[in-house]
Parts: sequence; C-alpha cells; structure tokens
Amino acid sequence: MRCPDRILAAFALALLTLAGPALAAADAVRAEMTAKLKSDLPSLAPADYVLGSAAFDADLRSQLAESANAATTSGVLEAGRAAWTRKFKNGRTLASCFPNGGRRIAGAYPQYDARLKRVVTLETAINQCLKTNAEPLLDIDDGKSMGAVTAYVRSLSQNQKVAVRVPAAAEASFDQGRRLYTTRMGQQNWACASCHVQGAGKRYAEQPLSPAIGQGASSVVIRGGQAVTLQARVRECLERMGVAPFAAGSDELNNLEYYLTYLSNGLTLQASPWRAARATRG
Amino acid sequence: MRIASCILACAAGMALPVCAQQTPALDLFVRPDKGYCIACHQLPAGSGPATRSDLGPALAGSRMRELGKPKLRELITDPTVAKPTTVMPPYGRHRILDAREIDRLTDFLHALP
Repeated sequence: MRCPDRILAAFALALLTLAGPALAAADAVRAEMTAKLKSDLPSLAPADYVLGSAAFDADLRSQLAESANAATTSGVLEAGRAAWTRKFKNGRTLASCFPNGGRRIAGAYPQYDARLKRVVTLETAINQCLKTNAEPLLDIDDGKSMGAVTAYVRSLSQNQKVAVRVPAAAEASFDQGRRLYTTRMGQQNWACASCHVQGAGKRYAEQPLSPAIGQGASSVVIRGGQAVTLQARVRECLERMGVAPFAAGSDELNNLEYYLTYLSNGLTLQASPWRAARATRG
Repeated sequence: MRIASCILACAAGMALPVCAQQTPALDLFVRPDKGYCIACHQLPAGSGPATRSDLGPALAGSRMRELGKPKLRELITDPTVAKPTTVMPPYGRHRILDAREIDRLTDFLHALP
C-alpha cells in the first residue's frame, strides 16, 4: 500500500519535531556564543580564551608560560615525530598520507568528509591512513600513541589560525555536536555548557572553568607529562557528569569536537599547551 | 525509637551498618562521592574547609534560615523546580543523596553561622 504524500510529509515533520529545534546555521551559533561570552566575561580579551582555566588565574598563567616547552621536555613531541616518520611495511609513512607532510593542516580539522558523510578528526584521519596502508590502528583514546602523534602534527601548525569549515551538508553533524554540548544529562544533570558557558570563568573544585570558545584551539594538551586529547578530556567530563562516556572516535564525540573547534575559528591554534592536573572526583 | 533499637542492637554485638555508617553532615557537604557541595559553594569561615570555588553562591546562615528548612530541603532535592536553569544537581530526584542525608544536610545548612 502506498502512503499518501500528505501522510509521509506529516510523518517527516513529526520526526523533525522530535529531533529537536531546527538546524541552526553554524555562523549564527558561533556569533551567539561569542556575544554571550563577551558579555559575561567583559574583562577577558577573546584571544585569551585559548588559555583555558589559566585565563582566569594569575598563578596558572605563570605556570603556563613557564611550561611552554612541556610537549618537548615531556618527550611527547619526539615520540610523535618518531611515529609520524616511521616507515610502514610498504615504505610509506603517516606523513605521506597528508598534504605537505602534514605541515599547516591541523587548523582545518575536524572536517566533514562528503564521501563518508561524516566528520573526520585528525585522529580518525591518521587511522584512515594506517588502515589504507594495512598498518595496525592506534587507540584514539591513548595519549601515549595517538595523543603524541597528533601533538606532533599540531606542532607543525604552530601559530596557524583555526579554520574549520561547516558546509551545508555538514550542518546536521555540527548541530548534533551543539546539542550534545548543551543538553543536560547524567546523574549530575549537567550539560557541558552548564560549566563552560553558564559557569565559564567561575571555579569548580578550585579550578576556573574554561570557556567553550578556545577549547577547540587546544585540542591536545600536555597534562602530567602526557598528551591528552580533547575527546579524552570530554570523556573525563562526561564521567564527572555521571554519564557513561561515548567512545573516543564515535560520531557523537567527533561531532562535538567539530562544533567546539568551529567555535574557535580565527583563534590561534595552540600546539599542545601545558595544563594543570585535574582534581579527582570520588 | 530507631536510635534505641540501634543502641540495643549494637550492645548485643549485631552488625548494623545503618547505625555505624551515618555520614556526618559536613562529610556530605565535602565528599566527592556524596554531595560534593564544596566544589561549588563557599562556607562561612570556620564552618568547613576554605575554598575559592564559586560556581554556586557562597552560603550564609542568615540566608539559609530566611529560606527555612522545608524550602532548603526542596532545593536540595530538586533545585530545578525553583530555578530551571540552575547548574545545581537534583540530589534527591537523581538519588545522589537519600532522604535522611538530605535532612542532615538541611539541618547543617540551617545551623550555619
């Protein structure tokens, strides 16, 4: 039996309604967030959003400046460089999969892959390269392997501006990331935005809360001598919220990273900055 | 009656975790596996650990007594009823604390200087 078009249209409309508000254009979302943070944090220069918690604490700022070489002194960059230039069995390398050997590419990730119809982060692009070359994949959540590689690639894009594109086909992925960031969930009933938009600049467990804009500019940080990816940090937050975290590299977290990094467009990419250790909870 | 039963049972050497494990109110306020209120709220000097945390308002006894115990209990149980945009967790509705723990926390807040 063929459904009349009017019934199909009504069904589609109902599905869209259930799926939440209409898609917001990425530019408008970023403009709204920029205005909100400027209004809530008038004394903080937008360029300083990339400092994270340190933007609100003089001692943390000093430690951040003193630890400017944390990625080098911790050995993270050297480990990443070794992995990046290691020859595969077929003679190729990770560097050979990327334009210009990976120089000045990091600011454009994550990107929407129209062929795959999904968001590709730098980490997933690295694993795609390994897969194409029949090499074992890296654990996306592992700071020692994948974290070190992405820290190294990002060091090749030092001082590049974040420039993530959201084409029309990617609006749904971007919007899923936005909704994930702003939806309350878990036992604590928090959204990411509860702390990093509503509470940005205030202190939770002594630590100032970083603003949503800027987080994506520091997608890999050095904490306790190890590389920690943005998705690993999001997963820690989700655990604090009392939520079973999505897997690193899942579409959910890739879309969230896409949204967050787009919010940082125009800011200077921070190649593996130092971050203070986090207070543990429970 | 319940206290008397506990004393009798403890005197008889019976293991009664409920008697033995009642968490002090300040612990409910401070412990990360309980309320962890200290992560967001400052207490009046001398009432508990000092903190710079300020995601939630600083707590003063006068304001707590102005609210009164029933309102305080409601706020701890589910603060989103009074303020839907709050970031405070719904301790009762999401079973982070049980009813007796909420009562003890209410008494603690109500008695702050």
